Amino acid sequence: MKRFLVKIALLTLIVFASAYPLDKLISHWLKKSNSFAVKEYPVWNDILNGKLNSDIWIYGSSRAWTQFDPDILQDSLYKPVYNLGIDGLPFPMQYFRHSLALKYNKRPRIIIQSVDFGTLTRRDLYNADQFLPYMLWDNDFYDAMHEYKGFNKLDYKIPFLRYYGNYPAFKEAISVALNPGKNKATRVRGYQGQDLNWNDDLERAKAMTDYYRFVIDNGSVKLFHQFLEECSSAGIKVVLVYSPIYIEGQEFIEGHKNIVELYKEIATKHNCRFIDFTKDSICYEKKYFYNSLHLNKTGAELFTQKLGSMIKDEL
Amino acid sequence: MLFNSVDFAIFLPIVFFIYWFVLNRNLNVQNLFIVIASFIFYAWWDWRFLSLLVISIVADFFAGKKIGTTETKNSRIFWLCISIGVNIGLLGFFKYYNFFVDNFIEAFSFFGKQINPRTLNIILPVGISFYTFQTLSYTIDVYKRKIEPINDMIAFSAFVSFFPQLVAGPIERATNLLPQFSKKRTFNDTKAVDGMRQILWGLFKKIVIADNCAYYADMIFNHYADYSGSVLLLGALLFAFQIYGDFSGYSDIAIGTARLFGIDLMRNFAFPYFSRDIAEFWRRWHISLTTWFRDYLYIPLGGSRGSAWIKIRNVMIIFIVSGFWHGANWTFIAWGAINAVLFIPLILLNKNRNNIDTVAEGRLIPSFKDFLAITLTFFTTTLAWIFFRAESITQAVAMVKGIFNKNLFSIPYILNHDTNSYVLPNALFLLIVIFLIVEWIGRDSEFAIEKLKGKNVLINWAVYLLIILVIFVFGGHKQQFIYFQF
Repeated sequence: MKRFLVKIALLTLIVFASAYPLDKLISHWLKKSNSFAVKEYPVWNDILNGKLNSDIWIYGSSRAWTQFDPDILQDSLYKPVYNLGIDGLPFPMQYFRHSLALKYNKRPRIIIQSVDFGTLTRRDLYNADQFLPYMLWDNDFYDAMHEYKGFNKLDYKIPFLRYYGNYPAFKEAISVALNPGKNKATRVRGYQGQDLNWNDDLERAKAMTDYYRFVIDNGSVKLFHQFLEECSSAGIKVVLVYSPIYIEGQEFIEGHKNIVELYKEIATKHNCRFIDFTKDSICYEKKYFYNSLHLNKTGAELFTQKLGSMIKDEL
Repeated sequence: MLFNSVDFAIFLPIVFFIYWFVLNRNLNVQNLFIVIASFIFYAWWDWRFLSLLVISIVADFFAGKKIGTTETKNSRIFWLCISIGVNIGLLGFFKYYNFFVDNFIEAFSFFGKQINPRTLNIILPVGISFYTFQTLSYTIDVYKRKIEPINDMIAFSAFVSFFPQLVAGPIERATNLLPQFSKKRTFNDTKAVDGMRQILWGLFKKIVIADNCAYYADMIFNHYADYSGSVLLLGALLFAFQIYGDFSGYSDIAIGTARLFGIDLMRNFAFPYFSRDIAEFWRRWHISLTTWFRDYLYIPLGGSRGSAWIKIRNVMIIFIVSGFWHGANWTFIAWGAINAVLFIPLILLNKNRNNIDTVAEGRLIPSFKDFLAITLTFFTTTLAWIFFRAESITQAVAMVKGIFNKNLFSIPYILNHDTNSYVLPNALFLLIVIFLIVEWIGRDSEFAIEKLKGKNVLINWAVYLLIILVIFVFGGHKQQFIYFQF
């Protein structure tokens, strides 16, 4: 019996002892990936390593990181710009990114906050893989994420556990380690234009439902107000920008006009500028979009030029 | 409680320690503890159905005693009928009631009569098909005077409810398992290590092979109308590996767990996909059920003796009943009938015992003839599995037709409807190939990695750690054990 128990204990010990180095190894390679988890790792790395080095930060979701070109803004504003848009996640996670960015970087002069129908909603931890390499024993990540589904408490505490069954993450980490040459960066300073033509997302959505429906979340609204107050106290100017949506897409969003009005009210209350592109001529040209909610590269460049000329006077 | 759950990972060591360190001096208390632990294990799923388990235990314990102590034939038959009635009654009500009612309604409506009997919202109690058959084996064996009736209610309860095999077998025989609860167990280090090894291999089969195959097989079976022949065939093949990995994996964990408690359970699988004909396949697949039907149905019906028609009748009966045992659906009956049709030529030509040895014994690779025979048998059983997995006969027939109609030789890209992208699970293919190689190398053992016993310690440990790592990397698609539904 004693021999058996010693063997079992030894095997368990080896398994647990190897968990930490394996965790470090996989996390190390995964962080270097420029393609996994919607290409969010380069942005997280820059945030956590204090490498944003910009006076202007752009916040938002996919409608931020695919539509606000930092190079074009930089050319018109003569100030370095970084796009911190986080794919698919509404304001609470954007605020988490904001907090970490402030913690590890010199604070910006201006924040361009992309707002839209999804900003003040709430959803599950979409694209949870983006947090994997950073969340072990990190209280910031735990505090921001533990109320969401996706990870359990032990995932934050026990090395390697959160990688259980995540074959794509292992595959990516090994691929980065073995083929670093293939790991080209395509999302630069947080931005990547989408060189795509119009797809059938809107038509398919219309076949399935009457409207895109978004429920405004009170907690997110409260947090948004708090964010604007904090920025104001810290001397950071915030510009709210509602970027273009293809006109048919606007009509397909339930209560869209009310959502735009909500941001106008918020901007007035906090005395910040609100720039509304929902009636801009871009919204009537399908050629600038790859789906009703997202501009393609050409549309994004045109939109960013327009935006740049409009906010020059903010600096 | 699932074997591949955190709950079980906590439950098992606790039971193990109490069993060996606290209660090892008193056999009765140890047996009582097994009963309590088994009841907790079962109640984790749904405590209400413990009552059915208790009914089965009590009915068969007393029926067994009555059969054993009564000399008159009529009385013995009466008590045997009570036992059969209680167990088949429970099974019939909980598993088959709605099936029969639905089919009566359809049959009457076919003849223009509308009837409206009540169908009930019945939950199928986990493991009912397994423990009812196990307790039945006891009363039948007592009736046949193969064993003496037992007077120890606790030992009998432990025999019926022993948690490693309670919900999905192996369906034990009283002749094998019951005596083990009547004598003192001593801890055997070699046996326990072997048990752990078998548990590890079972987990690999379940978590890595079965669950990952299930992920893709479900995609294909759930959208079968969208796919070409090659994808449908891939779906059938993946299901073949899913059900084997799932059920034989469960059996390995059950047998391994029992070994930790000093109990030997019967073997349930013997590398069935290396069979050279369908008869050999059925000697190697779900052995505990196949032999149950052989001993308690096939042989009493006359077995393979008698005229050709008697042989055909008996084979058809045993396979169709076996199919029906799996579930109240015509698909299972069709699956049983297909296997019977494949089996009948062998029994008529007296070739059903041609392949009773281990294939390619003593050689690394099989002869070309054996290879062809294995491949042919595997593909025929795989086609039959389509009926087992399909929701309806219509679906199964459409899938079989689809396999041979549309682009059978194209590359089988699977459409993932969630992401709207096409996938080819190359890593899974590689895992299946490695799995088959390991199984082939270990085919003359009880389970594939049993051969590690007595080998170099470092190599053994490297293999264990590698298996744990593979389980960790590929363990993302957790699924219920298929045989829980039976």
